[in-house]
Amino acid sequence: MVSQILAVVIFVVMFFLIITEKFERHIVTLSCGLLTLTVVFGACMQSMTAVTKTLALHRIFALDFWYHAGETAESSSGINWATIIFIASMMIMVEGMARAGFFRWLCIQIANLVHYKTIPIFITFMVMSAILAMFIDSITVILFLAAVTVELAQVLKFDPVPMILAEIFCANLGGSATMCGDPPNIIIGTALGYSFGDFITNTGLIAGISLVVTVIYFYFCFRKELLDSSGKSIPVTNYPDPKEAVTDKKGFIISCIIFLCAVFLLITHAQTGLTVAFIGLVIALATLLTSAKYIPDLMKKVDYKTLLFFIGLFIVVGGLEETGILIAAASFIENISGGNVKLMTAIIIWVSAIASAFVDNIPFAATMIPIIKSLSVSQNTSLSVLAWALSMGTDIGGSATPIGASANVVGTSVAAKHGHPIGWGEYCWKTAPAALLVLLISTICIFIRYF
Amino acid sequence: MPQQLIISIGREYGSGGHEIAEELAERFGLHFYDKNLLKEIATEKNVDVNRLEKYDELPRSVSRKVRGFSNSPEENIANMQFEYLRKMAENGKSFVIVGRCSETVLRDYSCMISIFILADLSYKIDRISSQQGISREKAEILINRQNKKRKDYHNYYCLKKWGHSQNYDISINSSRLGIERTANILAGYIQERMSISIPR
Repeated sequence: MVSQILAVVIFVVMFFLIITEKFERHIVTLSCGLLTLTVVFGACMQSMTAVTKTLALHRIFALDFWYHAGETAESSSGINWATIIFIASMMIMVEGMARAGFFRWLCIQIANLVHYKTIPIFITFMVMSAILAMFIDSITVILFLAAVTVELAQVLKFDPVPMILAEIFCANLGGSATMCGDPPNIIIGTALGYSFGDFITNTGLIAGISLVVTVIYFYFCFRKELLDSSGKSIPVTNYPDPKEAVTDKKGFIISCIIFLCAVFLLITHAQTGLTVAFIGLVIALATLLTSAKYIPDLMKKVDYKTLLFFIGLFIVVGGLEETGILIAAASFIENISGGNVKLMTAIIIWVSAIASAFVDNIPFAATMIPIIKSLSVSQNTSLSVLAWALSMGTDIGGSATPIGASANVVGTSVAAKHGHPIGWGEYCWKTAPAALLVLLISTICIFIRYF
Repeated sequence: MPQQLIISIGREYGSGGHEIAEELAERFGLHFYDKNLLKEIATEKNVDVNRLEKYDELPRSVSRKVRGFSNSPEENIANMQFEYLRKMAENGKSFVIVGRCSETVLRDYSCMISIFILADLSYKIDRISSQQGISREKAEILINRQNKKRKDYHNYYCLKKWGHSQNYDISINSSRLGIERTANILAGYIQERMSISIPR
């Protein structure tokens, strides 16, 4: 009982400190993780097994961590090393691509293909944002897309804010489509043993339908602002040249090849048996080996704080799991839904969405995974349906407010740094209805398809 | 080349700090910056100044930071102004700047003189109620609200606290001598300071 209370207190304090930002969030999760290991597992439970299980270091040395010969097995609790290795590896690959100028080139090339017309740029950038975010972290996608949007807005004389808001939303939507698009999906996929194919045929389908609706929604939402600027005549000489975006031609070609290989390996990983941790590691090594002289720069740009944040977070959530708190939480959801699986699924989507709109969706998803596992067993219902509900809820709910997802923070920050600050009112007024719309589509799709 | 001089003025709402700053700018023939700093930034960035002014010198709203990026418009506008101030100081420009954490932002420049203007509450209420044609009660509420905003804004970005004497070269109560004579005292202090160079 004492260990349960302490595990909850540590979790609540961690969440509170993450929200208040008094300390850096990796310091918070690591400190709380250390408290979980020493106080909850050590002093209260006196269980070395709980410590070993939560640290989960032994898993890295198991063959099935890198290669699954047959059906993927569900991972147990504790630190999800596959997520950490995959995210770190993707950071290295993305930095390699950014160094060569890939993202800027792609943005300007697309603007060039649509002849620098405002409305076509608006639509193609939304679609590009969603597609890129399916494979690359949404922070990087928005970082480059928002910067190029501001640059184009200066040249083409349009207000970049509507376009940036739409791009952010589509990046979050694209991230929900695949296993590697958004951190909650990586955690869900690796913890529950789902493949890229599982995600793309389930959440991917919902995201695809939602993308069409979203593009139409944002078009009508921002049509007036964008049409106002589309009639202005701009000298062609002012248009940015895609070729100038490429800073290293050889590096550019190599990074494109590595990226395509990563996409291919991720799409086929269920067939090849290679795990995302293995694919990530191979891709990171390929990036480093082909950019040998930039290795120190690439390694410096890895966001170690985020990786440490994940490690601490997984330990704290492991504390809740080992002490049985999450089973109690699952029972609570069971009780309020009265055993009605449809209602339970709806609760998971909408509660995840509301929570993710205001708090970091990564700790929320990590906490919810053991809960949905427990619900699936006790209610004898399909775990995958609950997983897709959790994925759509956390990924889309985060789009509703400027603090809901990392891409929102980065996108609005880039806009503000260029003199286009976006307040809460403006952000929520345009994107919260879109988030509600997509959540509604997700709920309907899940109900029609699985019940 | 004339000696570079930067006068940073922090002020309580209603203390007359703004008028004193304008007076000093005129006496020393310096550019005067307060809200108009954003006008210059907006012109340089080719953006609408009204959009920036909405978030000027305000404590940040509920926000999040990701990899050093903050979604707070207030924080981004503040940092934009801090960068602009540093750039002007780096380029050898002399000016008077009101607020905007300038005493902390420019503390590495030995040519910067930092001043904080405070005043008695009754004096501030008199000034604000007569200037704005509002009751003394409303004036007091307004003063408290504005000063809280300034304090929260300042203390978020600076280690040393807003209005604490250790944070400034000189702190002066304008209600003792009035605006004009306080400006005289400060002008004398600035003259003295300009005659010697104090390493920071």
